[in-house]
Amino acid sequence: MMKGFSRRDFVRGCAGSGCALAMGASMGGLVLLSPRQARAGETPRPHPARFWKGLDNKRVQCQLCPKQCLVEDRERGFCGVRENRGGEYVTLVWGQPCAVHVDPIEKKPLFHFLPGSRAFSLATAGCNLECKCCQNWDISQSRPEEVDWQWMPPEEVARRAKAEGACVTFTYSEPIVFLEYCIDTAIAAHKLGVRTTMVSGGSGEVEPMKEACKVLDAVKIDLKGFTEDYYRKLCKGKLAPVLKTIETVRQSGVWLELVHLCIPGANDGESEIRDMCRWVKTHLGADVPLHFTRFSPQYQMKNVPPTPFETLIRCRDIAQAEGLHYVYTGNVPGIEGENTYCPRCKKVVVARHGFHVEAVDLKAGHCAFCGQTIPGIWS
Amino acid sequence: MVRAKQALSHGYDADRGALRAMLGAGLAALAGTSDGLSGLRRYFRPGQTVGLKINGLAGRNAATHVELVDELSALLRQMDIGGHQQVVFDRFASDLTASGFALNERGDGYRCTGNDALGYEEEPAVMPSSASRLARVLTERVDAVLNLPVLKQHMLSGMSGALKNQFGCIHNPNKMHLDKCDPYISEVNALPAIRQKQRLIVMDALRPVVDNGPSYQPGMGEVANALLFAVDPVAADVVGLELLEELRRKRGLPSLDKVDLAPTHIATSARMGLGVGERGAIDVVFIEV
Repeated sequence: MMKGFSRRDFVRGCAGSGCALAMGASMGGLVLLSPRQARAGETPRPHPARFWKGLDNKRVQCQLCPKQCLVEDRERGFCGVRENRGGEYVTLVWGQPCAVHVDPIEKKPLFHFLPGSRAFSLATAGCNLECKCCQNWDISQSRPEEVDWQWMPPEEVARRAKAEGACVTFTYSEPIVFLEYCIDTAIAAHKLGVRTTMVSGGSGEVEPMKEACKVLDAVKIDLKGFTEDYYRKLCKGKLAPVLKTIETVRQSGVWLELVHLCIPGANDGESEIRDMCRWVKTHLGADVPLHFTRFSPQYQMKNVPPTPFETLIRCRDIAQAEGLHYVYTGNVPGIEGENTYCPRCKKVVVARHGFHVEAVDLKAGHCAFCGQTIPGIWS
Repeated sequence: MVRAKQALSHGYDADRGALRAMLGAGLAALAGTSDGLSGLRRYFRPGQTVGLKINGLAGRNAATHVELVDELSALLRQMDIGGHQQVVFDRFASDLTASGFALNERGDGYRCTGNDALGYEEEPAVMPSSASRLARVLTERVDAVLNLPVLKQHMLSGMSGALKNQFGCIHNPNKMHLDKCDPYISEVNALPAIRQKQRLIVMDALRPVVDNGPSYQPGMGEVANALLFAVDPVAADVVGLELLEELRRKRGLPSLDKVDLAPTHIATSARMGLGVGERGAIDVVFIEV
């Protein structure tokens, strides 16, 4: 890094000069505000939080996620974006995204949701996990004061998404920590006929997630591992609440896809993958898409090599052998695991290369070749 | 440990004369010198920029006393470390002002700034269990640190003292409060920038928060009129914990381990080689002034 010129400066500069799109892929989708829009160093605006209860001595307990943080007056919880102010809990990120960008929906990835469409994607600072492999740690592990943000209330997000012909996607960091903003934005978007999706680690409490599911159209959840040990050591989280969230989303009827980032030696063991696939089939059914994606060294795991292609293929083979119908490989363009295959006639019904959709052979949600129903939201 | 019956003049405010005497006696005893100024010279050199890491989290009722910082600042000036070479800091400017400190970047007297002014390192320091960006005040602006914690019970870690006060040097202490902050406190203290720059600890135990901490709740401050001097943060916390437990007993409060709040990070820090955790191996000198 050049002296006196930080990575953040570089990122900001790129945003202003039109390099943002090119940067997007290499930075895992971290997006960029133009210097004109950015409000670096400005005090975040408080907004009443939901999902908490007051305790004695002006303490509050957050009930948004399983951490259930006990928060003292003038303090914040684990996520760093919700603050106790004299016994009243506020969110400091409502309407204040630090990352806004239009992505292909395939980048989320959501493969059974309007293929080839665009996602008006946004994030705020903060996360309720701390994954050692986080590709967006600059924003997810920061407090609102430490990032550039812009004022973008829900109606503005909805209007801009509609103008882009895109859905709204809450992504990049952890939407659960800005759930009030997500819900309000989703309501505003629906009023304009704009659909909404969420990309989440799934570490939320049941009731808030049920609330969110009432206004979302699709959710992608990262099932980061399938052992409590993995979540505890590598994410500062727990597996059980994530599984509960996944079931909650599934039961709500909101379209659901899962992603498992395969990290060599950490969560790619055959038995772990098999157990995970069996759980998916048993608890969610064979039709929930499961993506195995390639890890690249990031953040606290720069010493771990990228996932070998063979590992992704092996994981996909295991999942298919366990009876899952829609299994994908990701972050590796040009291999067959990018395509959607009809589970009956085995023909390609959606052909992809990277984030680009090359062909869609579906008719009203059915295989164009054999008529098999292909679950998802296609129009 | 130095105690003075008149250290707290009324309520929160400290008596400067008493503090001056306590500092003189404590620094001399710790360094084995004839007076406090000579003692301070063992830990800091003229020309250095010294960071005074206070604890301002809980506001004026449970923060490092301004009077204590003022007296230490005066001593530092006597050894040719001027006000512009003294930087009083904590996480937020708002915490400093809420604790009675006046923000000061250019005026007379010591500098006083929140980490939020200068910001944090671009890249995180990676630890076994986590990662943090260090405050630039610590990494770029100061050569040595005088750690000025407040002795407090803490509802998550059990106790806040010398070790935990270093959470104020990182950008994400909110990520470090799981599992009673253990091993996070220890790992932060093991970071070279923190460990190598810390020269001296003066723990403010004039009126420790004995329960419902780390914030200040009315009635939870117990006058102890004590300052603890150390160069070893682990030993400082061992002795601080002993005092905290003594004060809790006086109040009829249970021992911290009886309420599942034993500060395990102290033993972890000792195991990591950050200091001496065994009470029997710590030479504690009790002084009354």
